[in-house]
Formats: sequence, structure tokens, C-alpha cells
Amino acid sequence: MKKRSKTVLLLGAALALSVFLTACAGGDDDGGQAADGVITVNWGTEPPSLDPGLATDTTSSSILLNLMDPLVILGPDLEPQPSLAESWETSQDGKTVTFNLRPDGKWTNGDPVTANDFEYSWKRTISPELAADYAYQFFGIVGASDYNSCEKNCDAMKDKVGVHATNDRTLEVELTSAQPWFVQQVAHTSFLPVNQKTVEQFGERWTEASNIVTNGPFELARWDHNSRIDLVKSPDWRGADEIQLERVNGRMISEGTTAVQAFEADEVDATVGGLPPEEMSRLKALPEYAQYPSLGTYYYGVNVENVPDVNQRRAMALAIDRRSIIDNVAQADQLPATGFTPDGMPGFDQINPNSEYLPETADVERAQELMNQVSNPAKDVTLVINDAPGHREIAVAVQDMWSELGINVEIQQQEWAQFLESIGPPPGKDIDTFRLGWIADYVDAMNFLELWTCDSGNNSTNYCDPQYDQLVDEARATPDNAERYDLYGQMEEKLFGPDGAMPVLPIYWYTFTQLENKSIYDTFGINQLGQIDLRDVVEGDTGGDENV
Amino acid sequence: MTGFVIRRLLWTIPVILLVIFFTFVLMRQIEGNPFRTSERAVPESIQRNLERRFGLDQPWYVQYAKYVQGVFTFDLGPSLVLRNRDVNEIVRTHFPPSLQLGAFAMIFALVFGIPLGMLSALRANTFLDYSAMFVSNVGFAIPSFLISTLLIYFFALKWGDWTGLPTSGWDSWQSKILPTIALGLGPMAYFARLVRGTMLETLQQDYIRTARAKGLRWRRVVIVHTLRNSLIPVVTAAGPILGFLITGSFIVEQIFAIPGIGTYYVDAVEARDYSVVMGLTVLLSVIVILANMVVDILYGYLDPRTRDARS
Amino acid sequence: MSTPTPKPVTSGATIPLDVGHAPTAGAPIRQSNLWKDAWYRYRRNRAALFAGAVFIGMVAFCLIYPVISPHDPYDVNFADARQGPSLEHPLGTDTFGRDVLTRTALGGRISIGIGFAATFIILVIGVTYGSISGFIGGHLDNGMMRFLDALYGLPYLPFAIITLAIIGDAGFWAMAVALSIATWFTTARIVRGQIITLKENDYVRAAKTLGARWQRVLMRHLIPNTLGILIIAVFLELPGVILGEAFLSFIGLGIGPPDASWGSMAQEGYEVYRVFPLLIIVPSVAIATLILCANFIADGLRDALDPRTRET
Repeated sequence: MKKRSKTVLLLGAALALSVFLTACAGGDDDGGQAADGVITVNWGTEPPSLDPGLATDTTSSSILLNLMDPLVILGPDLEPQPSLAESWETSQDGKTVTFNLRPDGKWTNGDPVTANDFEYSWKRTISPELAADYAYQFFGIVGASDYNSCEKNCDAMKDKVGVHATNDRTLEVELTSAQPWFVQQVAHTSFLPVNQKTVEQFGERWTEASNIVTNGPFELARWDHNSRIDLVKSPDWRGADEIQLERVNGRMISEGTTAVQAFEADEVDATVGGLPPEEMSRLKALPEYAQYPSLGTYYYGVNVENVPDVNQRRAMALAIDRRSIIDNVAQADQLPATGFTPDGMPGFDQINPNSEYLPETADVERAQELMNQVSNPAKDVTLVINDAPGHREIAVAVQDMWSELGINVEIQQQEWAQFLESIGPPPGKDIDTFRLGWIADYVDAMNFLELWTCDSGNNSTNYCDPQYDQLVDEARATPDNAERYDLYGQMEEKLFGPDGAMPVLPIYWYTFTQLENKSIYDTFGINQLGQIDLRDVVEGDTGGDENV
Repeated sequence: MTGFVIRRLLWTIPVILLVIFFTFVLMRQIEGNPFRTSERAVPESIQRNLERRFGLDQPWYVQYAKYVQGVFTFDLGPSLVLRNRDVNEIVRTHFPPSLQLGAFAMIFALVFGIPLGMLSALRANTFLDYSAMFVSNVGFAIPSFLISTLLIYFFALKWGDWTGLPTSGWDSWQSKILPTIALGLGPMAYFARLVRGTMLETLQQDYIRTARAKGLRWRRVVIVHTLRNSLIPVVTAAGPILGFLITGSFIVEQIFAIPGIGTYYVDAVEARDYSVVMGLTVLLSVIVILANMVVDILYGYLDPRTRDARS
Repeated sequence: MSTPTPKPVTSGATIPLDVGHAPTAGAPIRQSNLWKDAWYRYRRNRAALFAGAVFIGMVAFCLIYPVISPHDPYDVNFADARQGPSLEHPLGTDTFGRDVLTRTALGGRISIGIGFAATFIILVIGVTYGSISGFIGGHLDNGMMRFLDALYGLPYLPFAIITLAIIGDAGFWAMAVALSIATWFTTARIVRGQIITLKENDYVRAAKTLGARWQRVLMRHLIPNTLGILIIAVFLELPGVILGEAFLSFIGLGIGPPDASWGSMAQEGYEVYRVFPLLIIVPSVAIATLILCANFIADGLRDALDPRTRET
């Protein structure tokens, strides 16, 4: 008997000991931070992929733009500025763009960056094998769309794609039509180059910290998935002397409350990726609170087949008290939407319709008037939302607002994948209204307005107006900015003007909210597309304690 | 004894097959497209390409057979959503934190729970007993999200400068303290109550009284006889609890930002990442089965009566 | 019947320790029925009595208060948002200006309701499975128990998550089903054990020898005796299910707006606990109280119905 219990105890002790040993081994020494030039940033989520061909979200995009060197970058007013491309020319007809590369681009494995890298990378992203989500960004290039959807004989298609490295430093791009925004679009992460040797050697694991090869201001020092991602300044970078930060340690805390706590405990110097809307009233009072404009629209879409009377849709838009939602629910000083294209988009003044149906505070009287004109109103309406923080609260508020029109709203909260299935397109039969947002991919209103064409893969409203489509096509062929903005204005009128069809009910235009340590507050920032440029960040003198 | 162990081990194989089958069937019932991650719809051709790439265009029995083959060669396949990672690597990187957390919580629960229960039983119906049981009950019943929140708020935030404990993460040894307590408090309370209850019963039994009457030293009596008997229910409960700790710790993982399996599981189900869900479910099932098996074996050691009755 | 119920020997995890709860020495042996006996014993356990009262009180509160409360729990009124406790709002208001006390009661309806619903499903499946296996016995029993052993390998919460994802929208019954799918095994085992024991019992055998048909045996003898075990099982499963519902709601998979369960209230509360801690404390305390009560009731019932055994 005694022997048996002894054995059990010994086994137990052995187990405990081994567990403890592994625990201590897994520990890490650096409590996180603030030596000079070292900061810790909470990125908010784990980047799903650091492969430029596959990255689709803002976190990956932010990190990639610091790891890599794109052809062009966006200046403070979102104008394209030279980066790896020292200059570019557009042909007379606007259909050919030629980029001239700098001679001193270098990969971290010593290879020079050449135009061939770009030809390889862009064709790779367009390729059917990679099946990249963002391949559509390239469809303005000749042959890209065909290559992407090809199912056999693809090599032939590949050669027909209008991207050619005429020599080591010259990249020639043929477009299907004149696209004045193309150069700006090239600043997007999908247009970043990848190192062919590395990709071919490591296959899908090429982005791991031990394998990855980059060519930008920072290098990937460490990537523990869902835990830490650390960047260090690249000593070979041409502008290394102007970069003050030596190392940027990254955490990936996605739970809002936890992230705020980490910031308040001095464990991170900045937290990116949104603040919990519920805590906004408290956080806005902090000196570390920072708010930035963003190019994004939060809106409710309407299935026009289920709510066919345009007056009801207008009434629903009028009944939404945007100011109340912004002040009481979202609480990040968003801008009440008066059209679809957000403020900050070039040409906004020409484009924005200042819709009478999108008032800042609700116009319940007018809404009631319009409702009375509806012969067969849809009284029971479903509202589908996904279950991320914030949407629920807005939905509850809107539900209450629409109840004043005699509309009964049933809120259906679904998780993301199911939600996407529900809205399609085409939207499910029992989906009446749904919540969505759209953030700019590139800096031109076309990005927003082309969503509402009849065959758009993102139009879940069943709205289809051939005249609208015509305007879109016209705009696509109009290189002159002023003329194009005028066309955009006409499109917005078609949607939200006095005779507007109101297939969607914009609520507000996004802002980005973050907490930033006083030591970096002045220089740490995020642009309207959600990208953070670490090159400009300077760690000032705080005089405070930055211990863990 | 060895025969017993071998038989139990062999028995796990059909169980795993069953689990794979169930998970496979269930996952296919969920609506959703693993390739659509954002509002932008996936163009037809790309969708087709992706399905072909991951073998989703093949008939279900082919997929199932391939998957089973994969499991038994320890290849759990690539992730459908996280395109640069495969399930094996996800398991390799994220399973250890969950395992550690579960193990630590278990050790915490045993190390503090058993003595607490013993003490309560020996000083039954005194203030010590009542306060110990009060603490136990509170720890047992209050949901882990509140406990985690309170622990973080007080020990890491308010008094963080003194305790040096971080508010989240799982790297330094300090960061492992609060999550362990948060997760282990419930089982600790459970064990304490269990031990107290069984000890009280055992202490009243005749043979104990006889031993004391015979003049054996009281402490020896307590430890040797009572504890042994009281450990039996603890061992019984330990298995499922260990299984639960490892498979159900996702709330603690989320609140403390611990990069464990739990969060991956929830995310994978939401994203319809079939291979990750299947791989993780199989893994979790194996753990539960193993935990139960270990318990059964330990049980056999502790009480030979049952071993024969059950096999 | 004054014969005390025989010790149930469950196949597997428990050893009945023969314990001396000394019966009331010297008291006359009463000819009373099982239930009166049990109630008498239960009453003597003060903790269980108190727990029972609190439990009933909570259920009653959740059922009644929303009806009599002066506040509309769905009414959005930003002007009143986030107020602390006051005379008008004993527990304050939430982010929408809704009265927290009323919403707690409403949430209780859903949480407790799901708890009972899930437990009900567990019982239905468990009893059916266990009865068939135990009653028919032989190879079928063997096979069914082996299969059950296999099912034990299914991890509880992950399968709940998958089930919810399948059903789609997480309504009341969806949650109940999801929470019961991987938890009915123990109940099945207990029922089977009980049925087997009772089958072997002398008076049942006597009834069979006397020619009673099996249905009669089942109805008159087996089921009433198992009922006690089942009631205990209800209060044993309830905490796990309620906690499970809270967990699922906390990670966002639960009941959607504008309804709330205690778990989803706790989730809202977690996001604001820095400014409004009550919102997470109240539902958590409610859950904790319910769990504790259920535990004490279960203990009390166990002692009351089977005084000579101690199930661990």
C-alpha cells in the first residue's frame, strides 16, 4: 500500500517538476521596454499574413509598409510621393505608366531590388494559384483579369499581363484605360515586391521571422504568433540615420479592455486598432487619447426588394439620429454622414450631395410624413449585424429610433462568416436591413461609388440602376479630376439626392482612435487608410516612469 | 495492470475515429465560406481555385478518408484561412501555453485545495472551517470572467507597481501567476469541498475510531488512512476537470491575452477554418480521453477493487 | 413503502462509502412514504433549506419583477445612461439608460430558463439512453456503454460552439441544445446504474416472478425510485449549464440584443467595468448565487433521499 502511494506521489512530483521546468524555459526576460529608441505597440490583432499578395487587413498592411519599400508612398495629403520609384511617367493617352527605380534598393539577403522583382511579385499576386483576395486591385492592368480567372493554359495568359521589367530599373505597366488614380493605388500593400528566391525556397513559410526577406526601413526580428511581433531598424536602409526608433516591440491584444489596461500599466506605449466604445467617455479625457480622420463609411444597407417603397427608406434614413449615435454610442467624434463618400476624399466638396435625407439629428416629423405616403409599408424589419463590439449598441439605438415610425425591428446578431453568407450578394430572402462598413482601398471616390453598380460583388442591396452604371463607366474613362468629381457628384445625387433611391443609409464616417504615450504622442500617428509609418516616430523626453 | 493499460490505449483508436467523424460531419453543416474574410465578395474563379487547392471540391468521403489518413500520419493539413500556416504548426506553437495554463491551474487547485479541505475537516464547524468553506464556495461559484477582471484590476493595475505583475501576456513567469489563479480557483474550491466532505465521513467510520482507540498516533492515522480514502474522489474528479481546464480555458486566455489554443478554436469556428477546427477538436478529444484514462489508471492503483469490476 | 432505497451502484466512477449518518436513535419507525421521509430529512439540513428558499426566491423574482417593474427594459433613453444606484434605479442604469435591476431579472429568465431547458434535454436523452441500456441489458447494454465511453471523448465547450454555429442564430433553444449535446453522458450512466440495481432488487424480481408485465414493473417500481436520483441530477447539472451559457454569451456566441442573458450582460459589463463595475458584478453574483444554491440543494437532496450512501 505505502509503496503504491509513494509511486503515485513520485509520479505527481515528476509531472509537476517537468511542467515547471518548461515554464521557466519559456520565460522571457525583457519586461518590454522603454530603453531609448525602443517602444512597444499593441497592434490589436495578429496579422493574418505578412505576404503582400495575401495581406488584406490594416494590421498586416501597417506592418508590411514598415518592413517593405513600395514604389510610391502617400504623402500627408495622400498624394503619391517617390519611394523605391524615384520617378514615373504616364503616357499621353494615360494607358501606360512607367516607373523608374532607384539603384540602391536592397533586400535583407543582399540581393538588389530590381524591376524584375516587381514583375514577378505582381504576376504572382494575380496568379490563379495564389488565389489572392486583392487580385482585383490589379484588374486595371491589361490581361490581369483574364490571367486571374484562367483555369488552364495559364502560362500563356501570364505572359500577356501588362507588366514588364524592360530593364533592371524600369517597370512598364499597361492599363486597360486611363486611370489617374493608378499611381496612388500602387502605394497599396498588394503592390509590394517579394523576393523570388525566398518565396521559392520556403514556400508558404517564407514569412516566418527566420525566413523572411524584406527591403524596407525595418526588419522582422521576431514573430511569435498571436503573442509578439518585433521590428528592428534595418541598418542597410538608405534613410537609417533619420529614423530614431531602434526597435518596435509588438503585442497583439485584441480584447479592448485588456489592451487599455496594458496601456495604463505602462506595458505598451501605444494601442492601435480601436478602443472599446464603451470606455470612450473615460478615455477621451486622458491626455494620451488621440483621434484621427479616416476614409471609411459606416452604413446600414437595405434590401430594396423587401423594402420597395423609396419613401420608407427615406423615412428610415431621416429617423436615424446620427448625432445621438455618435455622442452616446460610438463616442469617437465620428462625422455624421451626409453622403456615402467620406470627408477627406479628394474632391469631397464637389462630390458630397449634402443629402436632405441624412440629417445630423433626426427629423422625425418629416419621416412620419413620408411614412404616411407609403401604401404598403414593411412593418416588421430584420436587421442583421455581426457580433463585433459596437454594432450591437448602434443597432439597439436604431431599433428604438425606427420604432417611432411604427417599424418593428428584429435584430439578428450573427458571427462574421455566417453574416457574410447572409448578405451575399445576393442577400438572403429574409434579410431586410444589414450593417456594413467600407474603408478606402485607395484614395479616390470610385472606390466607394463603384460598389453600387448592378453587378458589383459588394452590392447586397439588390439596387440596380443602369443609369448609375453608365455614370460609373463614364467616370472610369475620365482622367480629368474635376470632370470626374463632377460625375461622382451626380452618382451621389442618384443615391441620396431629392429623388435619390436610398439603397443604403449612411450613418457616420469613421475615425481612428488610439492611446499614445506622451513620449511619442507628437510623432506617432495613423493615416486615413489605417497605416502607421514608424519612420517618423520620435521618442521624446517624458520625464515619467516607463518601467514595467 | 499492464493489460488494463494496453486495452485502454487500444480503445482510444476507435474513439478518435468517432470524434473525427462527428466533427467532420458537423463542420460541413455550418454555413459559411472559409475563403471570404472581408466584406468584399470572393470572385467565382478565385473561389473555385481555392476550393481546388484545398481539396474541397472532392466528394465528402474522399475528403474524409484523406483527413483520417492525415490524422494518423500526424499531418493535420494547412489552415484554410491563415494561408501561411498549417495546423501542425498552430498546434505546436499554441498548445503548450494552454497545456501549461491547465497544468498550473490543476497543480494550484490540488496544492491549495486539498490541505484546505483537510484543515476544514479537522477543525469542522469552527470559524476556520466556515471561513475556509466560504472562500471555497465563492471561488467555486463566481464565474472566471469576474475573477479574472478583479485579479487584473487589483493586482496588476492598481497595485501593479508593488506586485510587478503584468496585466496580460504569457511570457515572463510573473505573467503566469494571475491566470493560473483565475483558472484554478474554481477547481481548488471544488477539491476543498470534496476533501472536506469525504474526510468528515471517513473520520466517523468505525475503523478509524478503532485505530485511534488502539493508540496509534493521531497524525499518522489521519494522513495514512483518511487521506488515502479522501483522495479517491479527488482523483475521480481530477480527470474531467483537467480535461475541462485545457479545453475550456478560452475566456481566461482571451482576457489575459494568452496565445493558447482556446482563442484559435473560437476564431477558427467563426472563420469556418475547417482544417483548424477539425485538427483542434481531435487534439482536444485526445486530451480529454487521455485525462480520463490517466484517472482510471490512478484509480486502479488506489483502489484495486474497482479495477477488476470495470475491466 | 418504508423500506429505504437500496444503494445504487453506478458502473464506474464512484465508490459508495458506507457511512454512519446515525438514524434518529430511539425514534419509532414510521410507516411513511419515501417523499415525506425525504422532505423531513431535507428540512433538517439548514443550509439546504436556506439555499432552496433563495433559489425559489430568485426564480420568482426573475419571473415577477419585469412585470411589476416601473421601467421598460427595452426603452432606450440616453439621457439617463450610466447612472449609479439610486432610489429610482436600485442598481443603476446601463449604457442605454435601461434599468439594470429589471434587465437582471429579464436576464435571469433567460439564463435560468436555458439552464432548465438544457437540463431537461439532458434528462430526456440521458434517461432514455440509460433506461434502454440498463433495462434490456446484455450485449446491447455492453455496446451502448462502450459507445458512451467513446462519446466521453467529445470536449464539451468546443462542441457547444460548433453546434451553435450549425444552428445559426443563437436563440433560446439553440443554446439549450448546444449546452446539452456533450453533457448528458453522466446522467445516462447514473440512470443505467440505477435501473440495473433496481432490476436485481428482490422485490422487483418478486414482482416479475408473480407475472407482472415489464411495463408495470417499470412504471410502479423502477421509475419512481429513479426519480429521486433524477431530481438530484437536475440540480447537479444546472450549475454547469448555467456557467456554460454564461461563457458562451461572454465570448459573444449567445443571446442577441435587445434580450440579454446574464452572460451577455457580463460581457457588456466587462467592457465598461472601469467606469461602471456594477454591470459585470451584478450578473456574476447572480450566477454565483444560483450555482451555490443549486449545489446546496443537490447536497441536501442527496442526503435526504439516500442517507446511507455518499456519492462522490
